[in-house]
Amino acid sequence: MLLNKLAAAALAIAASVMPVAAQDFIAGIPREEALIIQGPAAQNAEWFNLWAPGGGASNNGLQQLTADTFWFINPDGTGDAAWTNALASDKPIYNEDFTEMTVKLKEGIYWSDGVEFTSDDVVYTVETQIAHPGMGWSAPFTVNVDSVEAPDRNTVVFKLKAPNSRFHTLFTVRWNAAWIMPKHVFEAVDDPLTYNNNPPVSLSAYQLHSYDTAGNWVIWKLRDDWQRTSIGMELSQEPEVKYVVYRNAGNPDARVIEQMNHNLDVINDIAPEGMFTIARDAGENTRYWFPGFPFAHPDPTLPSVLFNHQREPFADKDVRWALALMIDIRSVSMGSYRGAANLAALSTPPTGTAITDYYVPMQDWLANFELDTGNGTIKPYDPTISEQIAALVKPQWGDSIPDDTDQLKRMFGFGWWKQDPAAATALLQKAGFTKNGNQWLKPDGTPFTIKLMVEGDNIPTLARAGTIIAQQWSMEGIQTTVDVAGPTNGQRLGGGDFDVAIYWTVETWGGHPDLSFFLESYHSDFIKPPGETQPPRNLTRWEDERLDAIIEANRTVNFDSPEVAELGMDYLKLAVEEMPFIPLMAYNKFAPFDTTYWTGYPSAADPYSASGPFWSNLRYMIVALKSAQ
Amino acid sequence: MDGFAKYLGRRLFQFFLVIFLGVSLAFLITNLSPVDPVEQSVALMTNFGATDPRSVELMRQALQELYGLQGSMLEQYLAFWGRVIRGDFGPSLSAFPTPVMSLIMGALPWTIGLLTLSLVISWSLGNLLGALAGYYRSNLLLKLSGAAVMALHPVPAYIIGLCLLLAFGFIWPILPISGGAQMNLQPGLTLDYLRSLILHGTLPALTLVFVGLGSWFISMRSLVSNIVTDDHVVYAELGGVSSNKIFSQYVARNALLPQLTGLALSLGNVFGGAVITEFLFNYPGVGRLMIQGIYRGDYALVLGVTTISIIAVAVAVFIIDLIYPLIDPRVRLS
Repeated sequence: MLLNKLAAAALAIAASVMPVAAQDFIAGIPREEALIIQGPAAQNAEWFNLWAPGGGASNNGLQQLTADTFWFINPDGTGDAAWTNALASDKPIYNEDFTEMTVKLKEGIYWSDGVEFTSDDVVYTVETQIAHPGMGWSAPFTVNVDSVEAPDRNTVVFKLKAPNSRFHTLFTVRWNAAWIMPKHVFEAVDDPLTYNNNPPVSLSAYQLHSYDTAGNWVIWKLRDDWQRTSIGMELSQEPEVKYVVYRNAGNPDARVIEQMNHNLDVINDIAPEGMFTIARDAGENTRYWFPGFPFAHPDPTLPSVLFNHQREPFADKDVRWALALMIDIRSVSMGSYRGAANLAALSTPPTGTAITDYYVPMQDWLANFELDTGNGTIKPYDPTISEQIAALVKPQWGDSIPDDTDQLKRMFGFGWWKQDPAAATALLQKAGFTKNGNQWLKPDGTPFTIKLMVEGDNIPTLARAGTIIAQQWSMEGIQTTVDVAGPTNGQRLGGGDFDVAIYWTVETWGGHPDLSFFLESYHSDFIKPPGETQPPRNLTRWEDERLDAIIEANRTVNFDSPEVAELGMDYLKLAVEEMPFIPLMAYNKFAPFDTTYWTGYPSAADPYSASGPFWSNLRYMIVALKSAQ
Repeated sequence: MDGFAKYLGRRLFQFFLVIFLGVSLAFLITNLSPVDPVEQSVALMTNFGATDPRSVELMRQALQELYGLQGSMLEQYLAFWGRVIRGDFGPSLSAFPTPVMSLIMGALPWTIGLLTLSLVISWSLGNLLGALAGYYRSNLLLKLSGAAVMALHPVPAYIIGLCLLLAFGFIWPILPISGGAQMNLQPGLTLDYLRSLILHGTLPALTLVFVGLGSWFISMRSLVSNIVTDDHVVYAELGGVSSNKIFSQYVARNALLPQLTGLALSLGNVFGGAVITEFLFNYPGVGRLMIQGIYRGDYALVLGVTTISIIAVAVAVFIIDLIYPLIDPRVRLS
């Protein structure tokens, strides 16, 4: 009897509180007015100073929705459509020797507190950061800027310390850039490095509404005067998204559940299995970059097999090529992404304009590329790889896999290297290696073993790719063990503390053929002795006079010059010949959109904006979404 | 009184020695960590933007200075103790310049609430069931519940949490699976906010209850099983004392003493957070803060959490040692 009473009471309590969980997902804000985006957990939730080092979770909408700068590049866009003048009214104007850059600003832009944005804000931003080492863009301004002037309220003139045809990229958003500071706010504080800037004044279309002091969410609200912003003045009607919620939705499993419960509209990244679950069980109210398999959005980054050129025997290009020809890329694709990988033979990600600028025009060159194995020459390129992958995934995905070869190339990549153990054997023998049973021995007679470093759970697809490649090399007689670096991965890569690793050493603008985004760091001037930390990129410490010549030539041409793509091709050809690292694929991100409340998301067919929550280009997606209610 | 003073003095010395050694060891381990906070910050700042190598070098130097990481390890060690004595762990390196102490103080109430509640529930339930199962060994219901608890005991927190997350967040989505409270709800002593806190805390709390239940159950059952064969219990049974009285006055009471020690030690551990559970349910406590600190190379933060945890456990042990003679008449200071 007592037990029955207790059970009834428990049920009554449950009935009274539990429906609350399903209703009013955000207190006081109609769900149909809010776009919910996956955000990070903020440690210091009270902090909104975007310019302080490590200050605040800038990926919680702060930089994406309230900050602004001169220009944006859409990493998925092509041609002129990829470039947007934001605060600037036109492209950068350089003098003849690239020692001066003039920027003309748009008129009629206001901060959210009603103060007009002018060139004084820009001058203040640059001068303040130079005066405060440690601020986000202090170092690049210090290195580059001799002086900055504002001849009138809509013009800024930068005088540079040395010729630099890429200076404007500091103010050009792909993901992030030098955001302009509100002079009228910061000039009133003692130390801009320790000022929390709470609440922040906004220069873009949204402003802070509320935030969780425990760091799990931030809500941004459309400004009443949204037309007085660089993004708003280009719109013909008011954005329908009134509130943007950046929400830390937890681990990848929880993200999948939350999207299927319609509590998370935009996901940044989940595992292939989570993506396939959503496609299978919630396909009717979900959209993806591709309408079906492989679903994923390819980031303009290039996961690759990185060799440490400062460690023997990886300085030898024959060894590197031999290791490339031991890989069966179909297994890597299936094992890492279950076939949903966008493969890359060239050393630039197969995304955005790289397809038309590099991948399509270089197919003939790739097909005719000959490799001297020491035993004769081979043509290692296989342009049919996308069809082979399509055949492997067709049993699972059926008619959603098209037959059209061009479409397949855009889904699975344009081609890769044929697995060729005989050629690999010849190359290793050419490099002085010998084989004892099934064990390759180095020229000094010791066994050729490899430690292949992967980050681990943080990037499961790449960890899986590393495991498969390690198996394939081991089967060919090179004992390869996987070394999981975890949180020390970045530091070990930067310090050259690895033999071979799976990571990306190339990131590009995506929406522009210029490769300076990563290539500048590849100059041999910046290579450090083993053990010392390198600047970002060139993690392989590849040193080559021909590479230096390409980089130096690229510095002297205009960003939009046709020569940029020609120099890009020179680099790509050199990278194929030398195989300094083995490009594998674009970094595919499974980032589905829930269409229960919002429609009009970007896609491969209509790549009008970046899709990732942390890309600042996302603002262009947010103002374009339409209510589904 | 002389005896107590000597005992107190000896215990105080041990108390400070344990804290000194524990905190020193924690300092050494975190400072030998291969993760460099400056490199982490540089990577964060350069990953998605400025990559000019000359700028990166300059940035690295500026951050080194700003974070106060110059000087030998001995100098940093001495400076660290100076700060600990003042109750200050310096600025967080991953959330610079926010003081570590303010990050911990922000996370601590969540952890204390969640862990204390779940600990008290699992302790009470585990001990009650364990005592009953040890005393009424032939009862079928207790045998079954014992088997269930034993089966659950070796299952890791992550698996239990994931099962609960799937069950109540996906299959039967009636409970929130992430965060500490509803979004945009004003914190305060309102019915709405308290209800939201309870709903958001239910799944992590249940996970911790299930994880903790087994060990309390097993130890209590063993203790009771031993005590029931003691002479005084046999004598009471022969003397016709009722079984309920024997259970509550002769058996459970005696068995509870070591369990109280365990409870006090566990309460001390509360300050370290429930790392896996908080991470799984995205609960904003010290455990999640600790994970973020480890991943971002923020050893100021990791050291702050570890030091507070060491002090809390040392204080708990110290208090137990002082009050144990009061609750167990068999222990006498003389």
